[in-house]
Amino acid sequence: MSYLLRRLGFYLVAAWASLTLAFFLPRLIPGDPARVLLARFRGRLRPEALDALRGVFGLGDGSIWQQYATYLGHLARGDLGVSISHFPAPVSQVIAGAFGWTLLLGGVSVLISFVLGSLLGVLAAWKRSGWLDTVLPGALTFLGALPYFWLAMVALYLGGFTLGWFPVRHAYDDGLTPQWSWTFVHSVVSHAVLPGATLVLATLSGWLLAMRNTMLGVVAEDYMTLARATGLPRGRLLFAYAARNALLPNLVGFGMALGFVVSGALLTEIVFSYPGQGYLLVRAVASLDYPLIQGLYLTLTIAVLGANLLVDLVSAWVDPRLRRSGSV
Amino acid sequence: MAPARSPLDRWARRVLTVVAAAAALACVRRSEKLPPGVIAVEETEQTASFVRNFNPLLEAGPVRWPTRRAMYEPMLVHNPLLGQYVPWLATGYRWSEDRTQLRFSLRPGVVWSDGAPFSADDVVFTFQLLRRHPALDGRGLWRHLQSVTAADAHTVVVTLARPHTPSLEEIAQQAIVPQHRWRDVADPVSFANPDPVATGPFTEVTFFQPQVYQVGRNPRYWQAGQPALQGLRFRAYAGNEQVLLALLHDELDWAGSFVPAIRRVYQARDPQHHHYWFPLLDATVFLYANTRRPPLDDVRVRKALSMAIDRARIAEIAMHGYTRPADATGLSDAYARYRDPAAVAAGDWVRHDPARAEQLLDQAGLRRGPDGKRRRPDGRPFSLTLQVQAGYSDWIAAAQIATRGLRAVGLEVVFRTAEENAWFEKLQTGDFDLSMGWSDLVTTPYMFYRSLLATATVRPLGEAADSNWHRFGLPQADPLFAALEETIDPVEEKRLIGRLQWLFVEHAPAIPLFPGTLWGEFNTRRATGFPDANNPYAPLAPYNAPQSLLVLTRLVSR
Repeated sequence: MSYLLRRLGFYLVAAWASLTLAFFLPRLIPGDPARVLLARFRGRLRPEALDALRGVFGLGDGSIWQQYATYLGHLARGDLGVSISHFPAPVSQVIAGAFGWTLLLGGVSVLISFVLGSLLGVLAAWKRSGWLDTVLPGALTFLGALPYFWLAMVALYLGGFTLGWFPVRHAYDDGLTPQWSWTFVHSVVSHAVLPGATLVLATLSGWLLAMRNTMLGVVAEDYMTLARATGLPRGRLLFAYAARNALLPNLVGFGMALGFVVSGALLTEIVFSYPGQGYLLVRAVASLDYPLIQGLYLTLTIAVLGANLLVDLVSAWVDPRLRRSGSV
Repeated sequence: MAPARSPLDRWARRVLTVVAAAAALACVRRSEKLPPGVIAVEETEQTASFVRNFNPLLEAGPVRWPTRRAMYEPMLVHNPLLGQYVPWLATGYRWSEDRTQLRFSLRPGVVWSDGAPFSADDVVFTFQLLRRHPALDGRGLWRHLQSVTAADAHTVVVTLARPHTPSLEEIAQQAIVPQHRWRDVADPVSFANPDPVATGPFTEVTFFQPQVYQVGRNPRYWQAGQPALQGLRFRAYAGNEQVLLALLHDELDWAGSFVPAIRRVYQARDPQHHHYWFPLLDATVFLYANTRRPPLDDVRVRKALSMAIDRARIAEIAMHGYTRPADATGLSDAYARYRDPAAVAAGDWVRHDPARAEQLLDQAGLRRGPDGKRRRPDGRPFSLTLQVQAGYSDWIAAAQIATRGLRAVGLEVVFRTAEENAWFEKLQTGDFDLSMGWSDLVTTPYMFYRSLLATATVRPLGEAADSNWHRFGLPQADPLFAALEETIDPVEEKRLIGRLQWLFVEHAPAIPLFPGTLWGEFNTRRATGFPDANNPYAPLAPYNAPQSLLVLTRLVSR
């Protein structure tokens, strides 16, 4: 129990540090949101109007420390403020519009990538020097090493433009309204195929190699030799004994990857005009939308720490040694 | 170790087949059809999801495209191609003798889209809102205004604090809001106005989703039979690539995007329907030299810098041949009718002439050292930094060509790209040697030259300047600006602006590179009547409010 308490304490400190960074880092970028507007309007807004806008955006009253105190106070009340780039929509509403899509696209992609990659890793390790082991890791690493932007553009061009199989933008058909209907779900799925496939392709090799390498170690263990000698069926041997043990270290990575899903896949969302958090963050930074940057950081912090907590809990549950020694 | 063909192998293949099948199942492409009479227009804001904001007064906010281009209308619309104001909600205007009063006669019979009559009270109310809320007065109208009153139901009298005729542009083109709807709005700055009531051709929000929205025609529009279209649809595009794809797919009927090699990429794909028009009506792009940093205060040095640059190469390569070298008056085609050919001919310092540039630099005391690099008159090494904002690939290419030219005449130039905010901060505070930058684009060259020459616009180094970043003030020019502020005589105006051109040519306060291009593409599959080079009745580019009104009231669906 003390192990968990210690972890919880650590999380609190980490959350505070991260939220503090989220406050100060954007303010270190030269300029301020009102100036950015001036640049966008090619200098045609009057300085008087800018001063007034600063007031409207809630900038510039008091010292930065006073602003920091206000920020923490509002945060404690769950008030994330009003977005500047999406003025006058509240930050919480802006994030709510994007969060689901990012979770869907990123979450499903990570899940597919992890399951498929690990499966292929198991098979590659089991059948060393088979075609799975010789061709696939190389090919996938090659794909993963390609600049992602390029990979996504090629997918967009081939799948969406030349062949015209998949829609090239957005999360669902423009003519539809979100609802639980077959048409809508089908539309969401078909819109997610291209961005999802590029995400899976780009990350598959990581899971495959990690799984294959741990599998190789496990397969060489004495208990595997024994299990094999007892004549257990191959499938059982593979999945119940080898893969299960090899999976543990990869679970941690999977938890982390899940946490980072929330940050959104920036490039995917830009290339495919996918209305997720990553694109939101890019836009927020470009327009120095402090409240939105802070809000996005908050969701990211919560997601990453939450995923970590989950991994901690699972690890503690799976591995009794952790609970006893408390050393991580 | 294992047999060659194991069940596992087959099993793995089965998994892959299932995945492939699932992918194939999801791949039925639905090409979305637009209802008859509806065309798709490019939103000015690139985003993945829209905010439902139709507030025409908050110019600085993420306001939807139709707000000030199809919904809320001004009293007059300036058409830069005619150089004239087109009567809109007002049928005309008149200056008083002393140029301190403007009388607008409003058009009778105009109604708001909810049926309420439009009157002078709405105009007065709108200007009072700007006065009460400085955040809404983005153009600083009330610096020049004293009062706005209604003489009768259809006459508005605007009184200025002192004669200032250039204010007409901002006053006449201010979007007017209905008093009966806005009177009870507690905070008009943060008011998103989700259900607009306006006088324009398209006022009804047919549907609104974060990815796409549509506005429909105003059944009570004051122009008989207009608009001929049923509606305008806007989709969210996160980047230029997406806009280009939509154009090629015939999903976008009217856009204002930069398209590389447009003749081959867009027009040749469907010459019958795909059209573009890139007139040089945008502001001139400049290379600003910080005149507060010697030796850039020396006119010979600025002219030498200018002559070292190969503008033809910039126009042809960096700008894809979409523009041409600027002349020494700096005027773009938006001001073509003011251009004085004699001043243009006298401005020899925009010609690419490296030999003459070297001569001028030698005369200015910047002689080449033993290493071939030019040094300051006192022998200290001399180096210039040229900054350009990251992400503007055409400007970066232009700046690189300029840098190459400057280096060829022996100048040491450090080329630096900076993220837009950082770049603009340095430009504003005067923390640069050389910088790429735009210039002012307004109805007359008054503001354009004022930002380049007037002593009143010069701010000290370190203080953020909203214009005149090169910090150059010419006392001889000041009386010309004062005279321009009082005149409404076109002949006199042209004469004064001619003198400003001569001053600019003589002093080379900044280095003009090329006139800016107004980007515009259209597709005639669903609608016709767009302006182009053969029918230049208004600018095609959909981003300049309120000029789009001129186009929207001419389009016909097919």
